Amino acid sequence: MNIVVLAKQVPDPEAFVEIRGDGTGLEIEPKFATNLFDEFALEEALRIREKHGGKVKVVTLGGGKATEVLRTGIAMGADEALLLDDPAFFDGDGYATALALSRAIKKDPFDIVLCGKQATDDDRGEIGPMVAQFLNLPHVGGITKLEIADGKATAESPVEGNKAVVEVPLPAVFTTAKGLNEARVPLITGVMKAMKMQIPKATPSELGLSQEELGKAGSKVRIERYLPPKKRAGVRLITGDAAEAAAEAVRILVDETRVI
Amino acid sequence: MERLLIFVETKGDRPRKVSMELLSEGQKLRTQGYAVEALVMGKASEALKQEVLPCVDRLVSLTDAVLQSYTAEGYALALANHVRSINPKLILAGATQIGRDFLPRVAVMLGAGIASDATEIRWKEDPVKIIRPVHGGRALSQVSFLNYPAIITTRPNSFPLEAQAGTPGEYVEKDAAMSVEDVKAKVVKVEEVTKGKVDVTEADVIVTGGRGMKGPENFVMLEELAALLGGVVGATRSVVDAKWRDQQDQVGKSGKTVSPKLYIAVGLSGAIHHIMGMDTSKVIVAINKDEKANIFNYADYGIVGDLFEVVPAMTQDIKKRLGK
Ligand SMILES: Cc1cc2nc3c(=O)[nH]c(=O)nc-3n(C[C@H](O)[C@H](O)[C@H](O)COP(=O)(O)OP(=O)(O)OC[C@H]3O[C@@H](n4cnc5c(N)ncnc54)[C@H](O)[C@@H]3O)c2cc1C
Ligand SMILES: Nc1ncnc2c1ncn2[C@@H]1O[C@H](COP(=O)(O)O)[C@@H](O)[C@H]1O
Repeated sequence: MNIVVLAKQVPDPEAFVEIRGDGTGLEIEPKFATNLFDEFALEEALRIREKHGGKVKVVTLGGGKATEVLRTGIAMGADEALLLDDPAFFDGDGYATALALSRAIKKDPFDIVLCGKQATDDDRGEIGPMVAQFLNLPHVGGITKLEIADGKATAESPVEGNKAVVEVPLPAVFTTAKGLNEARVPLITGVMKAMKMQIPKATPSELGLSQEELGKAGSKVRIERYLPPKKRAGVRLITGDAAEAAAEAVRILVDETRVI
Repeated sequence: MERLLIFVETKGDRPRKVSMELLSEGQKLRTQGYAVEALVMGKASEALKQEVLPCVDRLVSLTDAVLQSYTAEGYALALANHVRSINPKLILAGATQIGRDFLPRVAVMLGAGIASDATEIRWKEDPVKIIRPVHGGRALSQVSFLNYPAIITTRPNSFPLEAQAGTPGEYVEKDAAMSVEDVKAKVVKVEEVTKGKVDVTEADVIVTGGRGMKGPENFVMLEELAALLGGVVGATRSVVDAKWRDQQDQVGKSGKTVSPKLYIAVGLSGAIHHIMGMDTSKVIVAINKDEKANIFNYADYGIVGDLFEVVPAMTQDIKKRLGK
């Protein structure tokens, strides 16, 4: 089984996010973590390899700290990594990013692509299904269970309160949700290996892509500006003993906010 | 005339609430020079027609054996083919698990832009601007499309439900003419886990319990309060990880994002991961015995007290008010 994992380094959920004065961009405190859902993808890839043999390759697109996610993947036990760090790749919408990633996946033969359900920075949740479409493969979204046998995969995914069991021939793409597994903590030997590893890169031309198809230039959606979220007025504490406070809360909900 | 296409997702034989939100939006836009069409997979029931037709100029039902159960490949191909035949400017769908699962594929098929999980659409601006939360709601991103058609999925409970009586549009059934080879995925079975229950993403009222609930048995208290208010019970991650509640009810970064009219947070601390999933709720009430709990920084109303006293008292009071 050759398994490709798409993984992304994202700001830590606790990092400060501020909107630049003119609204053109975000200032984000430089604290990073592996995208939560991508940890599940990495873990699942390693479990599949442990059971069926093969190789796990981690791929990421991004500059600077982005490489860290590849080192995390190697430290957890992945065999190979690939970095797309040409600036032409950057700042793309889901479409341009998925195009580049799908070409990177295709560089070598593969059986399974695993990626997160959503990256918690841009919150788009588009890449998995888009990559599948670019590769003309089936996908199952938000999986919580995956079994591989006889060139086929059986995946469980919750769909609006129901649980669907879906069978797909390989190769196929899966996006991972919470509940799939618990990601392992890398061993120190893995961390050492990851630190020393030379990370291979691919350029746009190596992927057969022109600058116009990539990043901002290749995007179909333009980010015009950032706006602050609606602020709440601050909490109104309701005092009194439990019975009094409860009665007052109910009165407010019924008479003032009229939500009941 | 510019055309809009609304994908109608169904639950049982009725449109989902988020689809009705979009249809309400469509009904308004019909009076502002848009031609509004809707699309449903499979034959439309009478109940569905009654709700949808007053909002649109035309409702098309795509019939095909391949579309009998949901697969991303099948739905995407059927929708993309239909789009090619009617050339809408924008395609709208709810940002539900299904909507978010297959519309990115449609975007690739059509070479179209997509804005996922939008909470606002500014129709009057040119080009149309879409607002969508990023970084777990800590900022909003205003986006527009560079070409059309383009796709928008909208977060449930973000657009008002206000469809009115209107001249019904026409209903057409169309054969999607798909072949079995179009879909490689095979749905083996669909288990109904929560029969007929409203999903947290679509509920108007959510009463969420955290670790302060002490154990799974105490959630009956929240079930009772939620039922009185026509709502459902949500859970924090700690509660789901402890197996007190189902994963499907988890609110937050690694669970679901919800925007109910009323969110009652009971015995939960308000960790940032949790806040990310509920910060767009309209009114937030927090009940926590610790006055320093972070949830109070995000609530409209707060009660510092023991939930085991406050919640039953609220339930009694609401019963009295509702005359039950
Ligand atoms: C990557 C990542 C993703 C995560 N995703 C999510 C997510 O999606 N959703 C989520 O919820 N969490 C998520 N978490 C976990 C999150 O950080 C918190 O650990 C979790 O939300 C805490 O749950 P809690 O509020 O139920 O428990 P606690 O933090 O233990 O809070 C319990 C609260 O109950 C109060 N309390 C106790 N007894 C009473 C009483 N008798 N009366 C009144 N109040 C009482 C206490 O004062 C306390 O504030 C995530 C964490 C990580 C690292
Ligand atoms: N720049 C990237 N590099 C590698 N993988 C990515 C990148 N962006 C998104 N992904 C993958 O696609 C998933 C969904 O991302 P998104 O569609 O951006 O929310 C993530 O969980 C990752 O697995």
